[in-house]
Parts: sequence; structure tokens; C-alpha cells
Amino acid sequence: MKQFVLKSMPRTIIVMLLSVVMIFPLIWMLLSALKTADEIFAIPLTWLPAIPQWDNFANALKLAPFGLYIWNSIFTAIIIVFFQVLFAAMLAYALTQFTFKGKKLLFQSILLTYMLPAAATYVPSYVIISKMGLLDSLAGIIISNSISVFAIFILRQAFMQIPTELLDAARSDGASDFVILTKIMMPMSKSTIFTVVLISFVQMYNNYLWPSLIVKSEENFLITVGLNRFFTTQGTFAEQWPLIMAANVMTVAPLLLLFLILQKWFMKGISDNGLKG
Amino acid sequence: MKKRLTIALFVGIPLIPLLTFWFIPMIVSVWLSSTDWDYISPDFSYVMLDNYKQVLTSSDFHQALWNTVFFGFWTVLPTVALGLGLALIVRKQMVGQTFFKGLLFTPWITPMVAVSIVWSWIYEPTIGLFNQILGFLHLPQPQWLTDPEYAMWAIIIVTIWKNAGWAMLFYLDALSKIPDELYQVGDLEGANAWHRLRHITLPLISPTTLFLVVLSAIDSIQAYDQIQVMTQGGPAGSTRTLLYLYYQLAFEQFNMGEATAVATLIVLLTALLAFILFFVSKRWVHY
Repeated sequence: MKQFVLKSMPRTIIVMLLSVVMIFPLIWMLLSALKTADEIFAIPLTWLPAIPQWDNFANALKLAPFGLYIWNSIFTAIIIVFFQVLFAAMLAYALTQFTFKGKKLLFQSILLTYMLPAAATYVPSYVIISKMGLLDSLAGIIISNSISVFAIFILRQAFMQIPTELLDAARSDGASDFVILTKIMMPMSKSTIFTVVLISFVQMYNNYLWPSLIVKSEENFLITVGLNRFFTTQGTFAEQWPLIMAANVMTVAPLLLLFLILQKWFMKGISDNGLKG
Repeated sequence: MKKRLTIALFVGIPLIPLLTFWFIPMIVSVWLSSTDWDYISPDFSYVMLDNYKQVLTSSDFHQALWNTVFFGFWTVLPTVALGLGLALIVRKQMVGQTFFKGLLFTPWITPMVAVSIVWSWIYEPTIGLFNQILGFLHLPQPQWLTDPEYAMWAIIIVTIWKNAGWAMLFYLDALSKIPDELYQVGDLEGANAWHRLRHITLPLISPTTLFLVVLSAIDSIQAYDQIQVMTQGGPAGSTRTLLYLYYQLAFEQFNMGEATAVATLIVLLTALLAFILFFVSKRWVHY
């Protein structure tokens, strides 16, 4: 063991340095969030705050309700992910277990949509949301994101791996399609589903362009929208930079915490399922 | 009969949002590109291909097209190369391996909006971290985000930084599937590290490379958040990509006809790219 540690020492040091460089913008964010305005603008650079300014967080919260924004983001992301998985499971089941007219066309359309940029749908989707009276509401964001072409695609692949003998046996025992889906296929694909849940959640929490078009009033802001608003309104005042960094830390914290707890799932799931960024 | 009802439910329910927010908007978008609709008034008239003529002859579009290609090229290749480099270093057994992989992957998890704000602070010309370091090394200190020469590079660096760990994960998986015997045969034949990489590793991971290039390229066409936060397409349109041009035409100028024309062109560009990569892959990807 000792010899092994010594032998891999040079490489370990290189990897350590690379990791620090990669993570440094995030460390810098945290350090800046704890500095005073004078320290943040000091030349030459000060690396560490003399006294950590924890008040920066409280002061940022006084200027904008980041707690509410983060809650809005987590809440909408959870509901969206729920519907994405539900709808994807239903369609993936239909695509793998049923034969019906237009099945091939449906699958090809889904495949085509997977490749195309979502932005191409934004103008008509915006009009549809406004016609539904859902502009400036979280419901508008939830409904328009409730289907994920990508989730359908991945779940279909997972469902195809399940041995047909197993499903035939269940059917001859009189199990309904609903029971087969929820009691056999979904439990057997649970690691795929869990990965889809995690990645979709992160994507929805990080989503900016589409939500920024839908929500207009502050009580409906998602964290990305609220944070960028805070940045554009406060960024012109030099003394506010520590507060902006504090807001950044609050924004990133929930995801980093989630990643810290579920790191293995994220990393294994992504390379196993070929998940798109 | 009951079977048909079940099928109708399983297909029909998910089909409602799929049609409403994907299939129908895709078609409507192409239709809108033949009108002069301005979003506010209920009236519009058909102008057929005028929007396309207008767009294709405008210098804004030419600049945005070039910016998109430039951004795509300089983010995709370095992201994939850096991903492979990181994977090659991290893959061998070492103390704290899982921890380091996690650190290298972390940027991918964070919201682009938040990290773009951090980076715009790092890029600050006089007191920003980046120029302080460059000054320490006696290198030129550009006005990153306000100089048309450098603004796109600033956006590119952030994008590579955020995605390299993601590419690394795929390469780690691909590398772990190469059988050790192949390297042992290479060793017997006296292959050095470069030969091993060139003749064993690279050919065997070429499907992963293709996959990463396709996904990163499609992803690069859709880049928006970092541009919106750091430069808003400026200075002088130097970071305005096709997608950003589309956003400005649609949601700042409400010129829906030209905006949807740009959207159609973005779709065509994506399709063309997918087609080219598929064609190229037949020549050099070894399955």
C-alpha cells in the first residue's frame, strides 16, 4: 500500500492541482462572498477575508427574497420531474409493449424532436401559454416542461432490456398493463429512472431562458431569473459585489449539497445512460 | 375493447403536452416565418420568403452565423480534448480518485447563470482574478468582456470549463472497457506511450468521441445563458450567436416573422451538422 501511494504520488499531485484549478471559480465565489467591499476591490489581490463577513448573506436576503426564488425553483422542478417521468413511462410502455397505428411515425417524430433545438418552439409555445392565460405563473413553466423527449427515449431503452418472458408470465397471471408498468417495469428500471430524475431536476433548477420569458412578477421568479435580475440591478454598484457573490453561493448551494450526497449516482448514471448536457 | 382504451390512455395522455409544446410549435414556427406578424396586432399578412431574404442578406445574420460556427468549433474540440486528457490522468488507481473525479465534474452541476456571474467578476479588467494572474506572469491583460476581439473567447473559456468534466465521465467509462491484454500486446511489441494512445486507445474510444462531438456541437448551437449574463451579445455583436439573434428578434423586437425564419435556419443548420458528422463518422469511427 505504502509503495503504491508513493508510486502514484506525482500523478496524484497533478490531479490535485487540476482539480483545484477547475474548482477555483467556485472557491473564489465563496471567498468573495465573505469579503468586505474594500477587500474585494483591493490591489494587490487579497486572497482571504480578514474577518469573514457572514452578514453579506443576510444583507443580500434583505434586498431580494432568494429563499422564495430557490423554493420556487425546487418546487417547480420537482413537479416537472414527476410529470416527465410519469408521461415518459406511459409512452415508453406504449412504444415497447403495444402495436398501434402510427407507432413508427410517433417514434420517429420523437427521435427528430430529440435532435432539434428546443428554442425553435419558443415563439409558438409562448403564444400558446399566453392563450392559456398562464403567462407569469409557475403553472405555465410546469405545463410547458411536463414532457421530456429525452426521458421518453431513455426509458424506452431501459424497458426494451426487460425480458419479455417475465412480462408474458405476468400477463398470463392476469396482471393489467397498469400493474405491469408500475409493479414490474418501473421497479426493474429504477436506477435509470433515478438518474433521469436527478439530471432532469438539475436541468430544471438551472433552466433560465424559457422561464425568464414566462415569469414577470417577483413572487414567481425562479432562482436563475431572480439571480440575474439581482446581478443586473446591483452589479453597477461596486460596493454590492460581495452581496452578489453571496447570492451566487446561495443559488449554487442546494445543487452542490445534492451532488455531495448523491455523487456516485450522478456520475455512474450519466456515463451509463449517455445523458445529454 | 378494453385493450384499445388502455392504448388510447397510455398514448393519448402524454401526447397532449407533446403535441402542444413540441410538434405543433415546430410546425407553427415554420408557418410564422412566412408572415409579418408583430405579436401585438391580431393582423398579419403573408410575405412568403421575404423574411428569409431579409435575414439571409443582413450583416447581423452573417456575423451571427460566423460567431456560431466559431463558438462551436472552439468549444467542442477543446472540451472533448480536455475531457479525454482529464480521463487519461484520473483513470489510474490513486488515493482520493473518486473525490477528484467529483471535483472535476462539479462545474457541470452548477447553474450557468450563477457561474457566469462569477466569471464576469473574474474577467473584470483591472481587479479581476484572471488579469491579476496574467499581470503576475507579465502577459497582456485584455478588457475581456468589453473588447470585441476577446469577448467571444471569454464566453468560450467559461463553456469549456463547465463541460470538460462531463466529457471526462464518458471517456472514463469508455477507457475502462478497453481490455488490458491489448496494452500488454502493445508492450510486447515495444510501443511507447504515444503509440499506445495513437494506435490502441484513440481508435477504440472513437465512438465515444463521435458521440461527444455530436452532442457538444448541438449543445453549442443552443448556448444562451452565459451570453445573456456576460455580454448580451455585445460588444458590437461580437458574441451574438444565431440563437441570441433569434431571442433578440423575437422577444426584444417582436419581429416574429424574421425570428422564426432564423429559428428554421437554426434547425436546418443542426440537421446539416448531424448529417455531416454521421457521414464523417463512417470514415474514421471504429465500432
